[in-house]
Amino acid sequence: MKAVRILTRVLIYVLALAAVSVLLIAASGADPVSALGIFVNGIFGNKNSFCEIFVKGTPLILTGLACALAFRTGFFNIGTEGQFYIGAMAAAAVSLRCTFLPPVLRVVGAFIIGFLAGGLWSLIAAGMKLRFNISEIIVTIMLNYIAINFVGVAVHSFLQDPASGLPQSERLAAEVTLPRIVSGTRLHIGFFIALALVVLIWFILEKTTWGYEMRLVGLNPRAAEVNGISVAGGVVRAAMLSGGLAGLAGVIELMAIQKKLLEGFSADCGYTGVLIALLAANRPELVPVAALLYAAAQVGAAAMQRQANVPSSMVSILIGCIVIMLLARAWLSGRVSRRGKQRV
Amino acid sequence: MALLEMQDISISFFGSYANEHVNLSVEAGEIHALLGENGAGKTTLMNILYGIYRAESGRIFWQGQEVDFRAPQEAIRAGIGMVHQHFSLVNAKTVLDNILLGDEQVPFFLPRKKLRARVLELSERYGLKVDPDALVGDLSIGEKQRVEILKALYRDIRLLILDEPTAVLTPGETEQLFQVLKALKERGFAVILITHRMSEIMNNTDRITVLRGGKCVGTLKTAETDAAALSALMVGRELEVPSNTAFCDDSKEMLSLDHVSVFRSGRKRATIDDVTLSVHAGEILGIAGVEGNGQKELAEAIVGIRRRRVRGSIRVEDQDLTGTSVCVRAERGMAYVPDDRQHDALVPGMDIGENLLLRQYNHVPFSSGRVFHKKAIRKNAQDAVDTYNIRTVGSLGIHSPVRMLSGGNQQKIVLAREITPGARFIVASQPTRGLDISASAFVHEKLLEQKRLGKGVLLISADLEEILALSDRIAVMYNGRIAGVLSRAEATVEKIGLLMGGMTGEKEAVA
Repeated sequence: MKAVRILTRVLIYVLALAAVSVLLIAASGADPVSALGIFVNGIFGNKNSFCEIFVKGTPLILTGLACALAFRTGFFNIGTEGQFYIGAMAAAAVSLRCTFLPPVLRVVGAFIIGFLAGGLWSLIAAGMKLRFNISEIIVTIMLNYIAINFVGVAVHSFLQDPASGLPQSERLAAEVTLPRIVSGTRLHIGFFIALALVVLIWFILEKTTWGYEMRLVGLNPRAAEVNGISVAGGVVRAAMLSGGLAGLAGVIELMAIQKKLLEGFSADCGYTGVLIALLAANRPELVPVAALLYAAAQVGAAAMQRQANVPSSMVSILIGCIVIMLLARAWLSGRVSRRGKQRV
Repeated sequence: MALLEMQDISISFFGSYANEHVNLSVEAGEIHALLGENGAGKTTLMNILYGIYRAESGRIFWQGQEVDFRAPQEAIRAGIGMVHQHFSLVNAKTVLDNILLGDEQVPFFLPRKKLRARVLELSERYGLKVDPDALVGDLSIGEKQRVEILKALYRDIRLLILDEPTAVLTPGETEQLFQVLKALKERGFAVILITHRMSEIMNNTDRITVLRGGKCVGTLKTAETDAAALSALMVGRELEVPSNTAFCDDSKEMLSLDHVSVFRSGRKRATIDDVTLSVHAGEILGIAGVEGNGQKELAEAIVGIRRRRVRGSIRVEDQDLTGTSVCVRAERGMAYVPDDRQHDALVPGMDIGENLLLRQYNHVPFSSGRVFHKKAIRKNAQDAVDTYNIRTVGSLGIHSPVRMLSGGNQQKIVLAREITPGARFIVASQPTRGLDISASAFVHEKLLEQKRLGKGVLLISADLEEILALSDRIAVMYNGRIAGVLSRAEATVEKIGLLMGGMTGEKEAVA
């Protein structure tokens, strides 16, 4: 009975999405069947495009993880975009300007400093929340603008490549970039670092007293207070970890893909993290699934744009529809359970 | 012809019936009690009548016409008013504005003077004394309730439904409320009273419909029945009422408060003003009083949730706990059953096992270092579910989220967590609020068991029947002070009622 209901619901979703995509493709003047063929072929067609899913998915896994962790622990971090930039900038500073260190130390240092920089950046919002009771949602969004434009300033000044004169840093030396693992593709070890972090965060949240305290503060700060558990401790920890993860996303993107710091460097990875967390129901173990599906859709859409001239923004429209459907479902089931509870 | 006739009403949630073929018939000019335990389906039935839920089967006749309300507005328009347990008033607005709010008859440009006169006239006629120009936020709970009733009467209703109206009132206010209801009855109104307080039913109603497990188990004339028969009908079996018999050991002080005062930031007057109390081994000290007279602050000062702006000293047995943290006090044997289960005591989104951990999660055997031991946690949860007979949700077992459990089962989780062998002193605040008779009896038995074990219990309750049934001594709080302390022998509802209203008794305000 229940299985049938879920199945019908999924079927309705799929049909609705199919209808919307066919309409959109037709509207852009292409043949829906061949365009969808290109979409699928664009994902699975060759080694390079298939590996590209993981390349595009890696920063999304990390920012999605950052948001999922934050939302689970009641720290509504919408500032992953800014933390991404700050992390990348810190990593660029370490790997480009600390040339007195051996390359290995510069890589390790970039990771550590990038994590701390992202964490401290979101800690500003945590501090305002705890001290002045200002919504961290507003503060983290505002900090995004500051961070993004601060990176803009940096690539015009202290991190600018003096040789080129363009608003970007010099290229990272080969010995401070992350190694690739499949030749002929851009797939790099950052993907596995991201997966390892997923496991680590899942372990912390579910299996440790640390994570318990954080979840408790997120779900019911008043109960934490009544039982003598520090609310501030939980919030600070959540902000630091969440911001740090978003920072690491920036570090990895810099050291494996872009290899230099420039404006517009994130391609909205931080904002997309909010969406990934939503798709993964804030569960760390589901974040890679959501992130990779999202990345695959983007890779396929890029192929469709190249070969069938269907704008890749179509995928963004579809994802918007999916998110609204998911939210509507949560709202509907929330309504049902509220009704169930009122039965007194 | 009855004013209201509900026939064969059924509704189910998640496959189980909340109302199953229920019949209810209410005449004009009667006070009709709807009696039943929590989950018996009283509120659901009224919500169906009021247009909040829709019945799956059954018919409703109102003044002889078949009706099917789809929203409360339709019920109100037809002449049915309801005062919910939780008031729906706007604190920042005046009484008059609240009464006019949502009234569809009010013209766009308010003829305030005329409407004000009408409200005054209504309040005069039914003895609902309240100042129409006062801010609702400044009113007492009893006055707010009067505003709710006025709001209903203003809409020309013929039937008034009251959901647990006396749960929050003092004895005096309760008495006033029933006078109002009697006046309404004499003028031909019908009143449906949802309650589980036996004495109120016996003294004030004409007929009683009893619900049990979603089914209607009978409609009786109040004059032809008695409290014992009613509770047997309601619970479905004879219920033993736990009572306090054992004596306490006066020589050993379990808790002593010495000149404790609590201040609020930015306010000069103390919320708790110079309270000196002691509770002995094997003693239950009841704290009576209208809510909001400092009981919560007192409990929180004792347990350690409030530490700043607290003066005086707090000892448990021979340990001075003044200024120590919640965790230290808990380790030294302080247990706390908070009044607000959903916010203070439990984390509704977590499961039973995780809620039971709240005090102990940092300790062996539940965790070592910072890593949890799943097995110990699961065993602990299963043990609690078994010993306390906690009803879990279907196949979820110990992984049932606490928010899906009934109030009684939630309270059992709190008790299982707080009342441990290591607990020396228990602060229980409104421990049976919102619980039905069987669950309340269980909580009372548990507190009495702790007394027999020689522990100390501070029982804070707004329910006088509860205080009188369990306490060895009774302290009454008024305005942050102990207005008087009575031994059980000398305590009567009248004496306590006077102290609750601020009339100081002959006794010295020190226990």
